[in-house]
Amino acid sequence: MFLTRSEYDRGVNTFSPEGRLFQVEYAIEAIKLGSTVIGICTSEGVVLVVEKRITSPLMEPSTIEKIAEVDRHIGVACSGLTADSKTLIDRARLECQNHWFTYNEKMTVESVSQAVSNLAIKFGDSDDDEGAMSRPFGVALLFAGVDEKGPQLYHMDPSGTYVQYDAKAIGSGSEGAQQTLVEMYNKSMTLKEAVKTSLTILKQVMEEKLNSTNVEVSIVTPKDNFHMYSKEEVEEAIKDVA
Amino acid sequence: MAMSLMRPGGFSYSELANAGPVQHHFSPYTDNGGSIVAVAGKGFALIASDTRLSTGYSILTRDQPKLYDLNSNTVLGCSGCWCDVLSETRLIEARMKLYKHEHQKEMSPGAVAQMLATILYSRRFFPYYVSNVVAGLDANGQGVVYSYDPVGHCDQNLFHAGGSSGALLQPLLDNQIGLLNMEIKPTEPLTLERAKGIIKDVFISAAERDIYTGDGILLKIITKDGITQESMKLRHD
Amino acid sequence: MANAQGPSFERFSTSIPTMPSAAALGPMKRTQTPVSTGTSVLGLRYDGGIVLAADTLASYGSLLRYRDCTRLHKVNDNTVIACMGDYADFQYLLSIIEQKAITEDCMDDGFNITARSLHSWLTRVLYNKRCKFDPLWTTFLVAGSDMDDDGQKTEFLGYVDKLGTAYKDGIIATGYGSMLATPLMREAVEAKTKDGGQLTEQDAINVINDCMKILYYRDARAHFRYEIAVIPTTGSARIEAPVEVKGDWQVAHLIRGYE
Repeated sequence: MFLTRSEYDRGVNTFSPEGRLFQVEYAIEAIKLGSTVIGICTSEGVVLVVEKRITSPLMEPSTIEKIAEVDRHIGVACSGLTADSKTLIDRARLECQNHWFTYNEKMTVESVSQAVSNLAIKFGDSDDDEGAMSRPFGVALLFAGVDEKGPQLYHMDPSGTYVQYDAKAIGSGSEGAQQTLVEMYNKSMTLKEAVKTSLTILKQVMEEKLNSTNVEVSIVTPKDNFHMYSKEEVEEAIKDVA
Repeated sequence: MAMSLMRPGGFSYSELANAGPVQHHFSPYTDNGGSIVAVAGKGFALIASDTRLSTGYSILTRDQPKLYDLNSNTVLGCSGCWCDVLSETRLIEARMKLYKHEHQKEMSPGAVAQMLATILYSRRFFPYYVSNVVAGLDANGQGVVYSYDPVGHCDQNLFHAGGSSGALLQPLLDNQIGLLNMEIKPTEPLTLERAKGIIKDVFISAAERDIYTGDGILLKIITKDGITQESMKLRHD
Repeated sequence: MANAQGPSFERFSTSIPTMPSAAALGPMKRTQTPVSTGTSVLGLRYDGGIVLAADTLASYGSLLRYRDCTRLHKVNDNTVIACMGDYADFQYLLSIIEQKAITEDCMDDGFNITARSLHSWLTRVLYNKRCKFDPLWTTFLVAGSDMDDDGQKTEFLGYVDKLGTAYKDGIIATGYGSMLATPLMREAVEAKTKDGGQLTEQDAINVINDCMKILYYRDARAHFRYEIAVIPTTGSARIEAPVEVKGDWQVAHLIRGYE
């Protein structure tokens, strides 16, 4: 018998003798190929910044959408297989509207993360669950939102695990970025400082020079809800980053 | 068949005289009576029901309150078709437990109110024949009252009378609490004690004129400290 | 689903032209009328238990069709049910309840169906049938013991009807009993308990006997033979041997004007 890794990485729901699900681990690896995303949660609101990889000058940069609005009070940024994220974001939007319809209140960021996580772990070989994926999703998500508990940042990976963070980086530059975040984050940061910090860190891990076409910035605040920075606002924000 | 000929059992004497075969007709609904009154105030909400359960001219029991504590700041009052009340309230209780476990928090009265509207509307074509009143304290600690029609139309009010004496009591509340057609209006806002007094009085009045309201009342007082209750006797006839 | 207007004659419709076709019989109908029925049942709480009573008659309209039908059923050692209404529907539910009781017995874990849970179960079954417009034409009284908030055993007496209407009370009578017996039972209980007194098992049986006699005199669907069940909160429930009302019709000849 050859108890090599490859024998336990076929079925998506087959545990290895060490108790690992390789396909899920591989999916998490896929995130590390994605572009860098950074989220910082402050008492004033949450910021999400992402790197957009413009691989060709002929590409239309505005069609790469790495940050999406889930509901008025929640935004989400993704890294990894962006196509997979569409399904998850759709579910997040659906759950939010359903919650509003049934309870006439905003869904909390944690509840949205949980609802999306429920979809994310519905992968399997069987055909009887229509609409479920046959493999784990290849994206990690950062949910940024403001609810009754205040500004919140949640991270969810392909295993469906969701954890709240003060600041989190995902994607190719995440290792270095997370380290810097630990050093630079403090609870009393203003939102403006958080935007600056996140862009500074993004700049360090990006190969290209920062400009208004290769980064996307959005903030979620209690007053103005989800807001995606315009080209001008991005340029203004980049100016602050030395 | 003229109404004046109707006997309590729902058939007439002239029908008995014909003495032909009797056709039983199944109706899934029955009116078990009962009244609910709710009042919202600054920092409190009150809701009361009578304790009589009737069918036709018979009293099934004199001791059946129609109030359900949904959580520490929300109370639901239901009257009408009792079998629907039992089913509807069980469904609500189950849905509230699911909500609590799914979202790790208690439902607010507003969330309960909206959920109840969707539950009622889900049975649009075979309705729960129930008049519902939700009373509670909102996030700011203010009293709120929601009232419904059987298919889920929801209204937020400061006070409401529902059930068999609803039409009898609502105008009285409009005057006493809504201060409509009042010549000299009180300057200070409604106090808990005054609201309690009005509720007790209107139930005494209802018991005089409505045969489906009587025997006793149960009154729930919702404040930031939780829910307390009082009861009072009504006419036993 | 059986058609209320008899079996389908569709297969024979060409050979027997006089037979109505299935289509002519109209839309499918469900049981909307009871057939063989039992009349009132009574339930009364005394201090330490419940007494139930029902006569042994299943009427077919005004015909005394089956005169030896028990309408009380001992589910287990401390739960008894009584039924008014369609006797077939009662038997149908009994078969399910008996199976439930057997299943519980086989568990051999010292637990049984309680009166409260059986009452709740009946509520759901009857409500679901009413929602299908296919009611089980019955009214049940469920008697047994329950636990109060302090974990003390108390008496349980519950009512459920064909709609799923349900409540608990110390005094319950169905059908004509609700008009004739309830006032008598309330009067007796109030008289016994007004000075802090208690209604004993024998008191309750006496009241029930009086009520059954009145019902026999006045309810044209009542029968002289009836059964009583006694369900003490602690101890074993028993259904007593049938007793008979000794009717006294001496004054009957004095009644004029109904000949």
